[in-house]
Amino acid sequence: MKRLPESRSSRMRVLILIALAILLTAAFCSLPFLQFSSQMYVKRSPNTFVGDEKYLSAREAVEAQLETFRAQGIDGVIDEQVIERVNSKNEKTSMIIFTINAANKRSGWSVMTAGLPASRWLILALALGAAAWVLTLISLPPVIGGNVRNAFGIAAFICALASFFLIPIVPLQLNLNLSRAVDLYLAGEEVRGIESLLPALDRFLFGGEAGDQLETMLSALNYSILPALILLLIPAFITICASILGCRRPLKKTLLRVALYVSVILFSLFILYPFFVMFITAFRSNAETTDMHFLHILPVNWVFSNLGDTLDRGVLRYLINSLLIAGGATGIAMLCGIPAAYAMARMDFKGRKIYLGFVIMSQMFSPVVLLVGISRLMNTLHMNDTLAGLMFINAAFNQAFAIWLLRGTFVSISSEMEQAACIDGCSVLGAMLRILLPMAAPGIVTTLIFVFINAWNEYTVSTVLISTATNRPITVGITQFSSFNMIEWQYLFAAALLATVPVVILFMLIEKHLAAGLTAGGVKG
Amino acid sequence: MRSVFVRHRWEPYLWILPSILLMLIFVVFPIGIVFRLAFSNISRAGVVGDFIGLRNFQDAVSSAAFPQVMLNTLIWVVSVVGLSTLIGFICAMVLNQTFFGRKIARSIMVFPWAASLVIQASVWNYIIKMEYGNLNNILLNLGFLQDPVNWRISYQVEFIWECAIGIIVTIPFVTFTVLSGLQSIDTAYYEAATVDGAGFWNKLRHVTLPLVKPSLTVSTVLNIIYVFNSFPIIYTITKGAPANKTDTMVTYLYMLAFYDQRKGPATALSVIGFVILCIASGIYMMITMRKEDGGI
Repeated sequence: MKRLPESRSSRMRVLILIALAILLTAAFCSLPFLQFSSQMYVKRSPNTFVGDEKYLSAREAVEAQLETFRAQGIDGVIDEQVIERVNSKNEKTSMIIFTINAANKRSGWSVMTAGLPASRWLILALALGAAAWVLTLISLPPVIGGNVRNAFGIAAFICALASFFLIPIVPLQLNLNLSRAVDLYLAGEEVRGIESLLPALDRFLFGGEAGDQLETMLSALNYSILPALILLLIPAFITICASILGCRRPLKKTLLRVALYVSVILFSLFILYPFFVMFITAFRSNAETTDMHFLHILPVNWVFSNLGDTLDRGVLRYLINSLLIAGGATGIAMLCGIPAAYAMARMDFKGRKIYLGFVIMSQMFSPVVLLVGISRLMNTLHMNDTLAGLMFINAAFNQAFAIWLLRGTFVSISSEMEQAACIDGCSVLGAMLRILLPMAAPGIVTTLIFVFINAWNEYTVSTVLISTATNRPITVGITQFSSFNMIEWQYLFAAALLATVPVVILFMLIEKHLAAGLTAGGVKG
Repeated sequence: MRSVFVRHRWEPYLWILPSILLMLIFVVFPIGIVFRLAFSNISRAGVVGDFIGLRNFQDAVSSAAFPQVMLNTLIWVVSVVGLSTLIGFICAMVLNQTFFGRKIARSIMVFPWAASLVIQASVWNYIIKMEYGNLNNILLNLGFLQDPVNWRISYQVEFIWECAIGIIVTIPFVTFTVLSGLQSIDTAYYEAATVDGAGFWNKLRHVTLPLVKPSLTVSTVLNIIYVFNSFPIIYTITKGAPANKTDTMVTYLYMLAFYDQRKGPATALSVIGFVILCIASGIYMMITMRKEDGGI
């Protein structure tokens, strides 16, 4: 097979990407990665009022002190704290406390040369990235043969990927070095490697000036790791792209595949994250859900009785209500929708277009905009605060979608058999019931489940129409666990779990059939 | 052909009658009621009085919160629809590849779509709590943070969170609509493009985009309507607080009607929203009807 000559532009693209990655890496490394402040100097000036003579001289002295710090290469800011008091003679006095806080930032370069364990991780990550650039660049010239080029390509890709995943470890390590190890050391515990860590921290933070004061200065240390560090992921990502683009066809495909898997897995984790939170919180103890200091991602004790407790607290009733509402709504929607869809698919009549337009229009109006009207109508019909009212509303607002999806199914089934049956004397209704409906079963089930799920998830109308606690559907019911005076997250999420699991399973069943009907019909409200 | 099924001229109307009745009573009637109320004087107790022209509209539009609410609605619709369309499109392109575990990935994608919005909003509400929220918990555990971060430091930030959650729950809808469009594309087009030497971007621009354009248009228009109407996320997370600064139009009109008991301005807002929806659905209808003519 004749191969198209590899275009020069593809090589150009790789070069541009690598140049971009190098530039961005350099730029981000020059940004501050770490910001910290520590008290360096305190001067108390008693019996001083802001602006008087004593104040001015004290201030001058503090500024002179700051200058000497600056001469040592440490920048700082002066903070003033005014404390006013009334003394025993009933006179107002005031004391001013001047402090100099070192307001320092450390860029990526200084983190790298700090000699901390975190610096080693950063250097390793950047070195792997640089290796990826070099390997990709080596494989670029056209004189390099295919196999050699691919070997370089694989190596470059692995390096780039490793670099990408090493970068998040750096802030983690930095945090461990700066806080955990130091905290343990200050608390008097034995910490491995502390004897090399402390001088490194001194050099990194205070330019080696702290000396004996190091412990005091470390204990007063406030710091934050800045997002510039995480921004390094961008050039790392670009490097991955460049290393893939630099390869030849079959290998390029394989590498793209790997990249595809990695991104699919990451995105899936992201999508599943709230559901993971729901799941684990549903099995936590009440104390654990609201404790600021608990440091366990998973529950310490899995409280499975939360599920039972939440059922006892009225959720069983809400689930039954939701089942009734959704079931009733689905029944009504199908009873009205199937004949209509049948007429639309098989019959020709005047006003067909107008009816179609009406159906499409009606699916546009969410009940939210019409809430006031709906609640008035329900009052007139004496269906306020009843399950029946919600059944009809849900059926009506899902009617358009049901008709639309069913019509699509019916049209896709040939009408020949029904015609034959009709000519043989079978009634139109009989032909539909005996021939069409069994054949259209998959489409009908899809519609059924979809309407059911929509009604099950409906929230807004229920909050307005339902005032009796025992008539609440589950969506309204769970909000009682997050009321202002008492929030019981574990019950909220246990109930949410019970409400979500069946719906998600049902949805997975119809997802495939639904997708095709979507472009034609309506969806979630 | 079709006439076989029609024995009397009135017969088709009998078939569509139940659905017409259902929609007439529960969709069209409320619309009528809302319109009547919007032009009437309504007491706090809800008694409907005389026709007062556009006074309710004046009240609604001249209230202090109105400009902010409209701006929020605009930001909400544009950001959620725009970004979820972009991300959903990319997801659809990925899911259209054949790879091991594609079915699992598709099933995972279903989650945010199938689960109720109130429940998802409640979960996110918990996640971004400062004192014990799960995000802070995980970040503290992993060492990224030393102290819990207040993720909801101001109402602007809270509104950004709301938009982000809106985007996450809307992505699957775009993904699956676009995916159904992508799967109906004949692979012959791509083969032809490959023979012509088209790269990835060329194929995307000249083959994929034109061919999924119909499903993309429909999903976008529908999305505009659904996102405009979306209520539970904002209601669960901020309830529009502080002082309607994070309200969109639907939550604002809900608050007006059922918290402040000001049904007059609320119904006037409903009518404004109704008109906006009518324009959007008019566009949608034109697209669908055209497809209906050309297709089946």
